[in-house]
Amino acid sequence: MKNLGSVFAAYLVGWAVFFAFYLTVARRTALLREELDRLKQSMKKGS
Amino acid sequence: MSLFANTTVLLGKELRTEFRSRELLTTTIVFILIVLVLFSFTFDPLSDEARRFGAGLLWLAFLFAASLMLQPCFLREQTNDTLSALRLSVSDPFAIFLAKLAANTLFLLLTELLLLPIFAVMYNVRVLPVLHWIALVFFLGSLGVSIAGTALSAISAQARMRELLLPLLLLPLLTPILIASTEVTSALLDRSPYVQWKGVGFLVAFDVVFLTALWLFGEYLLEE
Amino acid sequence: MWKRGFVGAAVLSLVAASAYASFFIAPTERTMGLIQRIFYFHAASAWAGMTAFSVCFVANLLYVWRRQPKWDSLGVSAAEVGLAFITIVLITGPIWAKPVWGIYWTWDARLTSTFVLWLLYISYLLLRTLIEEPDRRALLSALFGIFAFLDVPLVFGAIRWWRTQHPAPVIMGGPGSGLEPTMRAVFFFSVFALHALMAFLIVERYGLEKLRVELEIVRREAEAV
Repeated sequence: MKNLGSVFAAYLVGWAVFFAFYLTVARRTALLREELDRLKQSMKKGS
Repeated sequence: MSLFANTTVLLGKELRTEFRSRELLTTTIVFILIVLVLFSFTFDPLSDEARRFGAGLLWLAFLFAASLMLQPCFLREQTNDTLSALRLSVSDPFAIFLAKLAANTLFLLLTELLLLPIFAVMYNVRVLPVLHWIALVFFLGSLGVSIAGTALSAISAQARMRELLLPLLLLPLLTPILIASTEVTSALLDRSPYVQWKGVGFLVAFDVVFLTALWLFGEYLLEE
Repeated sequence: MWKRGFVGAAVLSLVAASAYASFFIAPTERTMGLIQRIFYFHAASAWAGMTAFSVCFVANLLYVWRRQPKWDSLGVSAAEVGLAFITIVLITGPIWAKPVWGIYWTWDARLTSTFVLWLLYISYLLLRTLIEEPDRRALLSALFGIFAFLDVPLVFGAIRWWRTQHPAPVIMGGPGSGLEPTMRAVFFFSVFALHALMAFLIVERYGLEKLRVELEIVRREAEAV
């Protein structure tokens, strides 16, 4: 059971990197989609 | 006009431009000297270490110098938009690259050979018996540096922070040249010198790969 | 929309399953013991990272040839995902090395080459931030991407030939070579799971990029109105 901490740490860090990547992408996607919809709405109203 | 003829004409222009002022050559030589001296402060230059590390430090110095020396390559074509003039004057844009990389290789080789005796004295290595081999590895290494450097210089000239960008792009890319050239040079400066043909072959392979890539993609580097 | 969630859950289960397999199905290695189980994650990440960079390379070639923005979007997505995987290789490597050899960084040939690889693709992303005009940025970064990818075998070759002379510990045995059959199965399952994760992340990132491009176009239209 020696080094169990290290193995856990490795896997956790790895997953943390992937989660962080996915979450940042998802958040930015949501924000952009929001802004895109907003712009499209305002263009529809304007014209 | 053929590719060879175009290249020769442009090469003449590159050489004439540089030898008029020689500013690139002189600043590069002084820079390498400074780097060599500074390196020597980080360990005992007369020890056996110096003999072992000398080749590596020499090539590191060359690489740093090249990443600075290659900056003006395409930057200077931006004033007065001489690049467009160049593009119009040749049928094959590869000639422009060939001329520039030939000129850069020549300049690098010149500075390296001029510094060799100084390096030999500073780091206590014997170069005369293997001079022709050293010239060969200097040539092959400098060629590789020039090919990659000329291509990347065309890229960095079109970006921001170009002074920092070129070394950033170039130095990781040139890791294989650094390793192989150091190995071959180090073998030549050894107490019983020998030619490491594996390294020479590797350098040739690197040069061929990147020259081919430049031939295939060079024209896109110069697009408006 | 729900399809994405379903796919995401499926990928997550695959990754979780591969982790379970790494811990409970794979036998304990004789010399290194428990710590060796990092191998399944570490090496599989390396493979997935290289695949991602290969996708980036193909996208770069296609962009230079076709000049369609979608190839540029694919290129940057694949590069970022690849970089994430390679970062994990560089983090798990030292975590593995410390208990086994007492030092974090061993200048092992593969790890060193991987570090250079990481630097090359960081430069790729950095280059993109320094060019504002979208078409120019796409073209120049694609060209640099091509040069960088061509350099990769040369980097690995040079380091392997000349920088493994010193008795440096090898972080992992050759993947699949000298591996006991169960270990091999777990390893390839991990490779499969992480490739699935890679594909999922690239698709997500690609979606974001396409949105960004569309937003730019709509913004310009809005300004024209």
